[in-house]
Amino acid sequence: MSAWRPWAGSALLLFPLLIWVVSLGAGYDVIGDVDVSRASVGPSAAHWLGCDHLGRDVLWRLVTASESFVGPSLLACAVALAIGVPAGALSGWLGGRAASLTRFALTTIASLPRFVLVLLVCAAFGNSVQLIALAAGVAYAPTLAEAIYARIQSFRHRGFVLAGQAHGLRSGRILWLHLLWVNHRRLILRHCIQLFAYFLLLETTLSYIGGLDGAGSFGVAQPDPSWGNMIAFEWREPEANLWASLAPGLATALVLLGATWTGRSLVEEQA
Amino acid sequence: MSVHLRSLRIQAGDRALVSQVSLRILPGKITVLVGASGSGKTLSARSLLGLVRGIEPGIVQADLEIQDGEKTHRPYDARDREAAFAPIRGPLLGWLPQNPRAALDPLRAVGLQISDCLKLAGRQSDPGPWLKRVNLASGVGALLPHQLSGGMAQRIGIALALARGSRFLIVDEPTTGLDPSLRAGILQELRAARDAGVGLLLITHDLRLVRKLGDHLLVMDRGCIVEDRSAQDLGAMKSPQAQALWQATARLEGR
Repeated sequence: MSAWRPWAGSALLLFPLLIWVVSLGAGYDVIGDVDVSRASVGPSAAHWLGCDHLGRDVLWRLVTASESFVGPSLLACAVALAIGVPAGALSGWLGGRAASLTRFALTTIASLPRFVLVLLVCAAFGNSVQLIALAAGVAYAPTLAEAIYARIQSFRHRGFVLAGQAHGLRSGRILWLHLLWVNHRRLILRHCIQLFAYFLLLETTLSYIGGLDGAGSFGVAQPDPSWGNMIAFEWREPEANLWASLAPGLATALVLLGATWTGRSLVEEQA
Repeated sequence: MSVHLRSLRIQAGDRALVSQVSLRILPGKITVLVGASGSGKTLSARSLLGLVRGIEPGIVQADLEIQDGEKTHRPYDARDREAAFAPIRGPLLGWLPQNPRAALDPLRAVGLQISDCLKLAGRQSDPGPWLKRVNLASGVGALLPHQLSGGMAQRIGIALALARGSRFLIVDEPTTGLDPSLRAGILQELRAARDAGVGLLLITHDLRLVRKLGDHLLVMDRGCIVEDRSAQDLGAMKSPQAQALWQATARLEGR
């Protein structure tokens, strides 16, 4: 793989985090920005990406839309880490019946298609992006746990683990410091990036399908911006500003590409 | 101060891998355990540390007595064997495993690993002097295990074992695959440790080492001790297996 991809990938991944910080600082008014006199105007110095058919600034909506997935996807990562890492590490380290039961429970969750699981949670508990994030984290945890389980189990009886025990290192320190942090932090980071990308895609999809009107919808609904509902809101409009639907689509594609490149570079350096 | 192992038996299914093994390690002495591959040397040594996979009473039976001043540890008599071994591993018994590279954390700089050991031993955590002691430049501390040559990895292993400061040290085939000058350096370190009062259990294929630095000799064959004698008059060994080893060594030396 070319040397620039990990760098380009990381830059593309940092981009949503950056605009998230900008958006939190700026506090763009999602409701009050309507101005019909500039409906569907193209890019200009005042509105770099033009305006949508209600005359709302596309760039600001693009930036503000980061709030609907960056924070929640970090929440999803936290949930997946909190469940997946201890479950995978302990069952790999201890083995035995408790490990089999844990893996059985996690495999049961993993056997449900993730998208369906998320929709079920929405249907049962109501639609909120935090809830979707929670469900995505729980749905992803088995994948993370199983990856960690496989690695820890294969490292469990390696020479350096035995040598550490012979030196008098406590099992906890060997497991958390040497096995998880030193040897598998890249693996864990890669799974977090994958989950981040998965959540972005999930949120964009849900908001594209169901984000047009407030009641009974899925995902993030208008007037709150999301890259998914921005596309859905614009692309059928006659004489629309092309950028109003193209920009969020491009942004989604670029961030996903960044996640792929970064994740892949983490795999290759590990091998 | 002594380590005394009596009637060790390690069971795999209905087969005994090791049976009736007894050995003793004394401070300032080198006990050499010799035997063909697969004779149970390493397994016996690991049982001293409680690091045999499946430590349960059904698998390992032993009468191990480690005297440390006033205190006597009998880990195999304890109900929780894992906990009973905790105070023994490290301060009392150290281990220099057979393949020193495999015994290093593959993604942690070796200097940090020496520091880890020093911290465990309650010493100052600068790895520099310990690298110097085994004739390695201080820059080696920043390297990862796969960047070391075999001889360097072996010396790092020794540095780790010395840094841990165990009273007794189990050294598993320390000179395998090393050139003569490195071998001499390693033997020198082992002698120095012995002279400092460390008790050593040296496991090897190589009977020549016994003459050079052994005090006591044990020969193992198929899981049993077949020869147990002082390391002085090696020509007078009784068991056929020990004699065969001895003759092979003599041929190797062209005598």
